Amino acid sequence: MSGTTQPVGSTAAGTTVKERAELALNDEFLRKAVKFTTERLRGGKLKASEEHGNWDDWRERGRQIRLHTIAHLDYYLNLFADNARANGVHVHFAHTAAEAVKLSLAIAERNDAKSVVKSKSMVTEELHLNHALESIGVEAVETDLGEYIIQLAGETPSHIIIPAIHKNRYQIAALLSAEAGETLAPDTTVLAGFVRKKLREKFLEADIGMTGCNFAIAETGSMVLFENEGNARMVTTVPKTQITLMGMERIIPSWSDLEVMATLLPRSATGQKLTVYMSGITGPRRAADADGPEEMHIIIVDNGRSNQLGDPEFQELLNCIRCGACLNACPVYRHIGGHAYGGTYSGPIGAVLTPALQKNVAEWDDIANASSLCGACYEACPVKIPLHDMLVYLRRRKVEAGHGSKLESLGMKGFATVMGSAGRFGGVLKLGKLGQKLVVRGGVIRTKLGPLKGWNTYRVAPSLPKQSFRDTWATLEEEIRVGLRETAPDVKQRLEAVIRERKQKEGGSLHG
Amino acid sequence: MKVSLFITCLNDAVYPRVGEAMVRLLARHGVRLDFPKVQTCCGQPAFNSGYWDEARAAAATILEAFDDSDFVIAPSGSCAYMIHHYSQLFRHDPGLLAKAEELQRKTYEFTQFFVQVLGVTDLGAFFPHRVTYHPSCHGSRLLGVKEEPMALLNGVKGLELVPLPFAEDCCGFGGTFAVKMADISGAMVMEKTDHVKETAAEVLVGLDMACLMNIAGNLRHRNEPVRVMHLAELLYEGVTGVMKR
Amino acid sequence: MAETGMGSHRDWLAQLESESRAKQQAFMDGIATKLGRPRVTSAPAHPFRGAPDFWNGFEWPLEERIERFTDNFKSVGGHVERLADMEAVKRFIAAKAVELKARYAVRQNQPELAAIGLEEAMPEVRFAVWNTDREEHWMARAAEADIGVMLVDHAAAYTGSLAVLSSKDTGRSVSLLPTVLIAVVPIERLHTRLGEILVPFDEAGREALPAGIHFISGPSRSADIENDLTIGVHGPGIVYALLVG
Repeated sequence: MSGTTQPVGSTAAGTTVKERAELALNDEFLRKAVKFTTERLRGGKLKASEEHGNWDDWRERGRQIRLHTIAHLDYYLNLFADNARANGVHVHFAHTAAEAVKLSLAIAERNDAKSVVKSKSMVTEELHLNHALESIGVEAVETDLGEYIIQLAGETPSHIIIPAIHKNRYQIAALLSAEAGETLAPDTTVLAGFVRKKLREKFLEADIGMTGCNFAIAETGSMVLFENEGNARMVTTVPKTQITLMGMERIIPSWSDLEVMATLLPRSATGQKLTVYMSGITGPRRAADADGPEEMHIIIVDNGRSNQLGDPEFQELLNCIRCGACLNACPVYRHIGGHAYGGTYSGPIGAVLTPALQKNVAEWDDIANASSLCGACYEACPVKIPLHDMLVYLRRRKVEAGHGSKLESLGMKGFATVMGSAGRFGGVLKLGKLGQKLVVRGGVIRTKLGPLKGWNTYRVAPSLPKQSFRDTWATLEEEIRVGLRETAPDVKQRLEAVIRERKQKEGGSLHG
Repeated sequence: MKVSLFITCLNDAVYPRVGEAMVRLLARHGVRLDFPKVQTCCGQPAFNSGYWDEARAAAATILEAFDDSDFVIAPSGSCAYMIHHYSQLFRHDPGLLAKAEELQRKTYEFTQFFVQVLGVTDLGAFFPHRVTYHPSCHGSRLLGVKEEPMALLNGVKGLELVPLPFAEDCCGFGGTFAVKMADISGAMVMEKTDHVKETAAEVLVGLDMACLMNIAGNLRHRNEPVRVMHLAELLYEGVTGVMKR
Repeated sequence: MAETGMGSHRDWLAQLESESRAKQQAFMDGIATKLGRPRVTSAPAHPFRGAPDFWNGFEWPLEERIERFTDNFKSVGGHVERLADMEAVKRFIAAKAVELKARYAVRQNQPELAAIGLEEAMPEVRFAVWNTDREEHWMARAAEADIGVMLVDHAAAYTGSLAVLSSKDTGRSVSLLPTVLIAVVPIERLHTRLGEILVPFDEAGREALPAGIHFISGPSRSADIENDLTIGVHGPGIVYALLVG
């Protein structure tokens, strides 16, 4: 049972990733839409990173900045909080989701808020804050076009960057027509035009603007938002009160470091050189200003993030800048979409982050198994998080804690017994050759019995040849020996040189 | 000088012809391979599934097999890269850890050895066919073997190399993934073979029989007549003029 | 919750602050404990601060900055005009107002804009000058405006970005709420890299920063509906950058 991670309003039925994936695999529109979008974003990213050049140097720089900041997080977060406070921001700390929700609601109630306009924030998704606000009678309106659409649909985002990736224009037209009270044509310009008008009203009447935070600059206490639509600027300009929810790891030391993040994030997310808007907000409006919030709160949220601190296998997870490049690169995500992951975060980052944020190993979903460990996520990651390795660590921890599948454990015991000795391995191969006689037809195996069912639904399995390599070795070696008694002298020289070089490097690395 | 063959369990059991081609090709270039028979499997299936004790049992045979080798050559980037995980697997045993690190330094994927160590890219092969190449994920992304197979393929006369669309996408194998998440894996391999079909290639070549077994299995399932080969096989056929179909 | 209204709003905020300060210590101590070391209380050496060295020396000559800025800004749907002087700026804006049949406009209260007499050049347009009257609802004035006019503080050619800083005389709304945004860019403010604009914020320090620093790189856009690009979702859908000088 893993229902604990299932957010309210998620569309994906099914309790296991396998069941949810099956639903997605049978949804032709979804698969095509996800494929098209991820290919567009992935292509854009490749083009942008190539055009920019020295991409690996930039990635390494980004990684080093994030590593450094997280390694000194107490210093930088403390500095940020002090500076933000000096700027006039009301800074709060929340260990848990419940604490963050309680603080947000208290601020809303104290300000007699009737409505909150929100710009895209994954942290508030994590907290299910919209439902909490509605429970005290405060209307929460998502203002990012995609978020607004899925809010009307009563769903959760299925992609970090393009939340409504799974909806087509007809579905969107139906949702917006219901809101408009008239039929809107399934035309992007018409639909977006309606949303612009509708949300303008919402912005102007809202009591509170609520945002997430892409980066928080420790040295000046500023918070930075990247976006394309301008809704985050609306949310931080128009309402009287601003609440920003930020994960405690969003920190970077300086504006100088922001240049690196601004180089990596938009290119990795959408292939843009910079998002249309990048805003650095340093405190509430100044006394003489005529716009901007009068009261500004920043709620710094832990909610499981600190579990990663000091854990050598997972600390780098906190380096994530939420660009979504790993989703776009992931062949599994492409086929199953975001909802199949069953948590707030989807794709490779979600597969690792969702269990990592929760300490209870027993409740971890089998989501870590939904990866071929191809490493495309790592290659795409602008701060080089080894997500493919982390998936293996998650699997190992589940096994170590005794929550592995019984059948698999048995199989792996067998694997260890057979592969622990060449003699037994050879024996098993002989048995296999005997056993397969029952199922081999035309040199291949097509039966869907037992463990071959999954494999042979999409493939044929090869049969074992008459002789394994180890069986043929003696003959082969004898044959080779006739022409070549030993490695040729010139080759040997070459190889010796390589060995010397290897030894030198080894010595060097010991001293360096 | 001891240059050893790390055959890998799949090639040993199912594709001995790949090992044979490798041994013969290397012999033609003056390298006498040795085959320590105590080796079984690198342990990757258990390692990737989270069963590290079981992985260690298999990995121990590899450490033992190549203890006194100067070079270790494998016809698989994935298994060669698995050696890089040994320092994690044996981190609590200083003796084995040192052996693991030593093994990592001396292990090469087959094309790496030819191109980087022997400095050979033209094996004098002739292979007049339309060929496309699938770069397996672990070999290309993690071990960084990208240029080497291209150099070797470019050295083959008569060969028409057609680029595989979305070549770098995973074929969907992923070891136990193909069994545990069969439908997702199935969707991935179908996409891969769709791309192979688009190239109209006669031959699909690669460096990792696990991925190729997956792709070939799906091609056969779909009755597609594309021939699937390890690069070592292709090169060996190319130099000996054995043209079998 | 109404009974908590006993104290003033200010008292309540003060109470939250004292709770926050106490929690801050616990938060930071907790982080240090998890990291397995004592609290770090003085600035650690940060050897990787900012962009890589090879990048920091990079600068285009003026003509190339103009060309690159123009290409970048246009490629995302923005418009760029190269104008000789502020007189030409006035003529351009006046003509644009006629072309767009603008009825309302808002401009930042900047001396460079005041000097050219924009309002006088367009008597048919109701021109509001930002924050010149404390009683006025300025956001509403900006929201009704067909055109917003501003002089930018900086621009970066490499990304095609404008940078504007908020102040008493320069509202954030002017670059955000009007349908059309016209940004005047004196070419001496056009830099090559973003870093040339960002690094000085560090040097200036916290107290020197305005509440809002906004980088604008083209018209507001979204691709949230079936990847179909929509312009002007929330911010201005038409943006002109007038390069002057």
